[in-house]
Amino acid sequence: MKQRITYLVEDPDSFTPEQLQVKDGSLSLIGLKAVQEHRVTFTLDELPTELRTSLKQWRELHIKWASHKPYTAIPPFTSRVSPGLHVSFTRRKSETTGQLCELIHTFFDPAAKCSSGPDANEVATPLFQVDEDGKQTASASLQYYTYLPHLTHFASFLSSNLCSASSQCADHAASLQDASSFDIDYTPSSRTLTLTSLTTPPSSGWKTLIPAPSPDRPGDTTEVGVLTHEPNPDPEDLAFAGFLTTLGPDAAPKPTRFQAPARHYPLPASSRDLAYSASFATPTGLHPTLELSFSPAGRLAPPDESCGLYAHLTLPSALFLDRYQFSDPLFLASKNLVSLRHVTGATDLEAPDWVVPQWGSAALVQLALPEQSPKDANTTASIPLHLRYLPAAPRAHTLVPAPWPVVFWACDMAQDPSGNPFDRVNLGYETAFAPGTRFMHVPPATGNGTAELVSWIAVPVLDTSAAGWVEMGTIGVVVAAFAGLCWVLFSGGGKREVQQDKKTQ
Amino acid sequence: MALSAFFGSSRGVFSTAILLRAIFLVYGLFQDTYSPMKYTDIDYFVFTDAARFIAQGQSPYHRDTYRYTPLLAWLIYPTTWPGFWFSFGKILFAVGDIITGWMMFRILRAYHNMSQERALRYASIWLLNPMVATISTRGSSEGLLGVFVTALLWAVLAKRIALSGFLLGFAVHFKIYPFIYGASIIWWLDNDRIHGRKSSTSPEPVSFTNQTISFLNPQRLALTACSLVTFMGLNVVMYLAYGWPFLDHSYFYHLIRIDHRHNFSPYNTLLYLNSSPKTDVNTSTQPSLELERLAFLPQLLLSAVLIPLFLSKKDLPSTMLAQTFAFVAFNKVCTSQYFLWYMMFLPYYLPESTLLRTRSVGVSALILWVLGQVFWLQQGFQLEFNGHSTFVPGLWASGILFFVVNTGILGIIIRDVQSKDALTGERNAVIDKKKA
Repeated sequence: MKQRITYLVEDPDSFTPEQLQVKDGSLSLIGLKAVQEHRVTFTLDELPTELRTSLKQWRELHIKWASHKPYTAIPPFTSRVSPGLHVSFTRRKSETTGQLCELIHTFFDPAAKCSSGPDANEVATPLFQVDEDGKQTASASLQYYTYLPHLTHFASFLSSNLCSASSQCADHAASLQDASSFDIDYTPSSRTLTLTSLTTPPSSGWKTLIPAPSPDRPGDTTEVGVLTHEPNPDPEDLAFAGFLTTLGPDAAPKPTRFQAPARHYPLPASSRDLAYSASFATPTGLHPTLELSFSPAGRLAPPDESCGLYAHLTLPSALFLDRYQFSDPLFLASKNLVSLRHVTGATDLEAPDWVVPQWGSAALVQLALPEQSPKDANTTASIPLHLRYLPAAPRAHTLVPAPWPVVFWACDMAQDPSGNPFDRVNLGYETAFAPGTRFMHVPPATGNGTAELVSWIAVPVLDTSAAGWVEMGTIGVVVAAFAGLCWVLFSGGGKREVQQDKKTQ
Repeated sequence: MALSAFFGSSRGVFSTAILLRAIFLVYGLFQDTYSPMKYTDIDYFVFTDAARFIAQGQSPYHRDTYRYTPLLAWLIYPTTWPGFWFSFGKILFAVGDIITGWMMFRILRAYHNMSQERALRYASIWLLNPMVATISTRGSSEGLLGVFVTALLWAVLAKRIALSGFLLGFAVHFKIYPFIYGASIIWWLDNDRIHGRKSSTSPEPVSFTNQTISFLNPQRLALTACSLVTFMGLNVVMYLAYGWPFLDHSYFYHLIRIDHRHNFSPYNTLLYLNSSPKTDVNTSTQPSLELERLAFLPQLLLSAVLIPLFLSKKDLPSTMLAQTFAFVAFNKVCTSQYFLWYMMFLPYYLPESTLLRTRSVGVSALILWVLGQVFWLQQGFQLEFNGHSTFVPGLWASGILFFVVNTGILGIIIRDVQSKDALTGERNAVIDKKKA
């Protein structure tokens, strides 16, 4: 087991090396205000047999979870996914059972919408995939999503089933509940399982002791880096300076400095403080319109001319978009949209929610930029969505979560970012772009009462508590009408007077 | 009087009808070009997309929600050509409207013995009806059906049996529901009708065999054969060309569909309620009888059996109106374009109807018919755009109310058609025997 713990100091001026102390191979942090990335890598041999066997059924498995609570992302951790649990995977051909749903229900959420039918393709939907010309092609990889506000179930499952009396493991599992994002990546080619969590610091900073790995497990290593983001030396690189400590061997933190090209990049200085917020135009009705507004509006300028502004939407099955609506240029222009680049998943225009087997749909929408003076321009993009009928319930409305989309500039990039130690892939939208694409994320607005990065839509449903007489009422009226008409038919014609009595009912 | 002068000239009425559609078409082009809100019906984009697939040698069913015969996409093939050709389909549908109106005019003249002015007046219910003109110029294909159904009626009245059979088979292939007309046409085609009216007075020994033999007259057999051959022939050709998706989308979809989205049908709320999975296990609701599965029974009994049997020999066009009215009112799905299906028969029925003769009845029927829709639309708007949960009682009650109004109107229509017999004294004997 290899642990790599990286702290990215939020405010470099507040950091002093005295906040790090190495004693007996362990590292103490004293009031360190830094974002923590905790990455644990297991080789397959280190895993319990049961878990290893079940992992082998996947050709590839990537789970990305993001919290619904807003957090500030600092480089190199600027990549984002919509709040909730995203699973992307490739299966081994022989396996067709409900492995995916078992995984979701056992580890994350026993109530998640996932019907364990015979074929996971029904629940999961293809990932975006483009060929060299940028055209959408069939993808072997599938995706699944469910809105999951917290990792409580996963954390308790982990500590009660896999931690086997290791208090450090249990602590780590419990700490997942504070994480802003959490990734699990399984790649058979490297025979490793990697768990990565990202956590913002407690208000007083990190006060913690990171112990050296136990000497009776010689394979284990723990590496801790405390870094600050350095000013930009090269436009496509990210540079960091700070201290690295390999717990155990190192007697003191070693100074370090390095730079690497990055796939996910912060906004340039010209767009500093730019943020978006998502909301639904009210009343939402059955056709809610997702509105993405940017502020300060004047900062909404492309980092370079190769860039396009995109929103990646993850829509639970209750929500869907009608791709045919996105074909009229006038309509798109009136919504500040350029085009619907891709859509995959449950896009049936008529089906009610309960007959849709898929988790939902994912869409990539290119947003239009204000043309001239961005300061006065309307910088709100509107994405028209529709609601499916939801099951009748003993209430008038059912709440449906609409996770905020991921909004980013996609730009051309000259260098290959794969050497970056913080490179994060399989987020669901990169495959919709050419390999040499750089993502500059527009963060969601955190201030002004943004309590969570998810909007809840009240969907009107048939209230069963008031519908007790619907069945008998309907049938009664239909039978009476039928009988009445039969009576008119059988009673014969020729009596015009009778019409006068009948008139209209 | 200026109005009667207007209706005195067929040129005037038809020019106005054409002009009305031309204005709507041009206005539609204008609105589509300059407004993100489109005049063109969403279905028209479905048809034209399907035509584009056909032009590329693919199946029209590659277009989501294309649930029609491939013939429709073929008919509007020119819409795939560039520029103005996109509107070809709408022009075709509008021309179809006019042809329908012209056939109505001819039928009224020839078979209802109307004067030219009177015939034009009643044909104008269709020709100058803004609702009809809007539907076709927005690009909905419902109006096109008017051509086939009216042509069918004309061919039947003219006793062109082979042509009638062909049109019936074609119409059923096109839109399924016209199969109900098969029943009334066949029942109407009795020997008296074929050989002139006097023969019914000659007393003949009545036995079951004799009745069967006289029922299976050559005309009935020919009509049945022609319509079946046309219907199955078209299906076989389409199946060979487009395979399973053709059957699935043009037929099976319509047979098994449960339209949960709110519509005028009285069954709508019940279908939503009973098809929806029970989310709350704790509240033990009483088990449903699932009687909505039998919804086709009253609908088909009325529209395809009872109404044809009791009425068609008295007045075929009005019987077809009553059948269509019953079919639409008792259908599990009902939207306003379905109203066009029965509107195309109004010109034959209205002239001698209670609705026109007794003004109070006619006006109250019209007001109630409109009010029923207004009430429903208001509830639907509250649901669709304001998100109010108006399913119960609002939408349910307004759907039921509209259904009750429709039933009342249908009752008047049925009684009117029945009483025609009494006035003219035709063929009461046959019906009476049947009843006994």
